[in-house]
Amino acid sequence: MKQPLYILSACSISPQHTYDVEHFLDPIVSSDDNKLYVTNPDYAKYISPVAIRRMSRMLKMGITAGMHSLEVAGVKTPDAIIIGTARGSVTDMENFLKDMINLKEEALTPTGFIQSTYNSVNGWLAMMTKSTCYNQTYVHRGFSLELCLLDAQMMLAEATEKQYLLAGGFDELTEEYFIIRDKIDYYKDEAINSGNLLSHYNTKGSIGGEGAHFFTLSNDPANAACAIHSLRMLQKPTSQELQQAIATMLEQNGLTNDDLDVMMCGMNGDSRNRFLIDPLIAGCSPNTTIASFKQFSGEYDTASGFGLWLVNHLFTWKAIPSAVIYQQGSSNSIKNVLLCNVTIACNVTLMLVTKVV
Amino acid sequence: MEDLKIKLKQQIIESLNLQGMKPEDIDDNAPLFGDGLGLDSIDSLELMVLLERNYGIKIEDAREGRKILTSVQTMAEYIQQHSKI
Repeated sequence: MKQPLYILSACSISPQHTYDVEHFLDPIVSSDDNKLYVTNPDYAKYISPVAIRRMSRMLKMGITAGMHSLEVAGVKTPDAIIIGTARGSVTDMENFLKDMINLKEEALTPTGFIQSTYNSVNGWLAMMTKSTCYNQTYVHRGFSLELCLLDAQMMLAEATEKQYLLAGGFDELTEEYFIIRDKIDYYKDEAINSGNLLSHYNTKGSIGGEGAHFFTLSNDPANAACAIHSLRMLQKPTSQELQQAIATMLEQNGLTNDDLDVMMCGMNGDSRNRFLIDPLIAGCSPNTTIASFKQFSGEYDTASGFGLWLVNHLFTWKAIPSAVIYQQGSSNSIKNVLLCNVTIACNVTLMLVTKVV
Repeated sequence: MEDLKIKLKQQIIESLNLQGMKPEDIDDNAPLFGDGLGLDSIDSLELMVLLERNYGIKIEDAREGRKILTSVQTMAEYIQQHSKI
């Protein structure tokens, strides 16, 4: 990745108090039924009463996170809106499908159909920011957000002047979606407290989660705390392939294993991916602090957005919240952070994020 | 007729998710679109679906639809004359 993605702002709506950063993890939000739903902010601050009455929870989450990110970055109209989502607005889709069945495909309301499409959040954001530029949605399961970021990177690499993009990802958890995924062993059979997720790594499955995470990105480092320098997606790698990919990524950026201050690891507590996680942790330098985030976000296809939001804030806070530390390393600085997300399907995404000096 | 109008207002509030609004807040003769309730074109589609689902009335002529959906009063009058349920 030749063009770094400078992160000017990050906004997250998640099960934790991420929208109001000052109260992040204070208190820690947890659940005992394997489902972590978002803590809702005041959506009316960003969405008009006329528009909000028609919106599902997912739309409100996505639009508010996107608008808040732009507001923090001081960008009114972005040069592009690029989003990744694996499922779009599940509630709207469920409502529309139920109506189709119950009403025998007659007298269907338009709202459920219009807003169940994957790109409805992009459309709303474009209208609200009066952006008529590039607008794209990536729908690729666990790689959705990463492909969105890759597209943003390519766009900024081609830019001949300063550009400001809005990029992000969102996915939603519903009761029915949980039941369907539970049937394919996505979630744990035993009910656990979400905060203890990593203590349950000996059983299969994870806990459900949801969230919307948006980032204002630029090729201009001014006002950025950090930048994504490398990004890789690995489909069902072996442990050796994962280790090799990390080593190559570090080498390409002039770094060694010892230079990694933090490994932000998306460990989901599923015993089926321990063959990746255990060697990954064992292979870390003693300098590196290993942190984990899925006990706070839950597992979903774009959960790496929560991890990226957290990584960005490590640089702005200049500290690692003790609650996210899995294994303390000896490094006292936060310069190089590797975000490593492992999905239920044993796919892995890597992002090397470094401090902007 | 009065009972029908109250029922219709309740259905409009539920169908369009007019949060915080009660049937008594909607004037029988106030325009549904523009200055009155401030509804838009998607709402007009929702109201047409409401008539079809609850009263078996199918509006196929857009010009006729505009007249029917002028206010709660015009909707109620049309329902009284044409309801198939």
